Amino acid sequence: MMNCEIFRSTFHADTENAALLAHLRTCDRCLDHAASIDPDVMFRALGGDDLVPPGGIELFVDDVMRQVRVRDTEKKVTAIRHRPVSWTRRLAIAATLATAVTSASLVYRHNSAIPSTMMTGIKRAAIATHPAELVTKPVVATYESESATIVEMPNEQNDDNVKIVMIFDENLPADL
Amino acid sequence: MKRFLTIALALLFVTASAFADDAAEPGKSLLVRTFQLKFKKAENAAALIKPLLSEEGSMSIRATGNALVVSDHAENIKQVVAALADFDVEAQPFRLSVRLVSAGRAAQNEARVPAELRDVAPKLALLRYNALDSVGNAEVEGKEGEPGQIDLTNYRADFKFGEYDPASDSINLVDFKLSQLAGDQLTQIMKTTLNLKLGQTVIIGATKNAQSQRALMIVFTAKR
Repeated sequence: MMNCEIFRSTFHADTENAALLAHLRTCDRCLDHAASIDPDVMFRALGGDDLVPPGGIELFVDDVMRQVRVRDTEKKVTAIRHRPVSWTRRLAIAATLATAVTSASLVYRHNSAIPSTMMTGIKRAAIATHPAELVTKPVVATYESESATIVEMPNEQNDDNVKIVMIFDENLPADL
Repeated sequence: MKRFLTIALALLFVTASAFADDAAEPGKSLLVRTFQLKFKKAENAAALIKPLLSEEGSMSIRATGNALVVSDHAENIKQVVAALADFDVEAQPFRLSVRLVSAGRAAQNEARVPAELRDVAPKLALLRYNALDSVGNAEVEGKEGEPGQIDLTNYRADFKFGEYDPASDSINLVDFKLSQLAGDQLTQIMKTTLNLKLGQTVIIGATKNAQSQRALMIVFTAKR
């Protein structure tokens, strides 16, 4: 049975003695003592089987490589983001803006050719209108008595200066 | 980079082409304009501008705000603008001449036509009214929307000058009420609304039936 006294008396640097190393894993004071003599003793004292990451080494390696690629991509993107805009790109943006502004101004001017009367009073235009053909309206638009017969006399002499309309109404007084 | 430039140049080309087309065929596209009328009714304005619209043109009356919404080519819109500018003006003054004629059918030897009725006598003769007596005449001036009143011997006429309709070149005589005075009693004979074409002599004959030997002729002439 290894105790602290035996350990301290037998321990020396670079020892591979399994019993000594096993004692180190259970006694902190002896570990401190051993570390003061041989700083690497701690690693040798760990011992045990090889460590296998969860999921296996292949998965661990894949995960590490994926992380590496992600970091690499992030670096590239960050670099692009902070890179100054090239002159060709600036030219392209300027051309697009110029096109938009030109189009808008042309549309505005095109529409302004017509006097704008949108929800405003109608402005007098200097353009002469073509006289439209006159609409013929009935002379008597309404008449109070529903029993009356209203007759627009035909214009036999083609005289548009005089128009005769007869109202036959039994309700009219006889002594007109 | 080149892709950006190509897209921008293509956009510029397309825009330029579109406007080149427009310049070559002006007024091809339809425009929509809203006209708000200040003085006249949108319904009357609609009748005025209807003949000015093209086949593709259309219009609608917006009741709220007394407005017209017109969609048509630029050329037609210009005509509409000009027509509405002439139409939507302040109330115009008009002169209305009213003559009251008592007309009767008489034997040939009893036929009579006063000098002041010679202009309408031939027309009334067509209806076999050959005995004419002038009951009274009057002239009144008024603006659109204003009331008018005429006293003609034993008759009185009350009415309102309606709106001038440029589509028919006529003035609306609203609620023309003719009343007969018997003693101090005023009895309404008729009530009517008339469309009087400017410059035209309109004769309204009122009688009980076609066989009646007497009729009251109201001769109107409306002028600016």
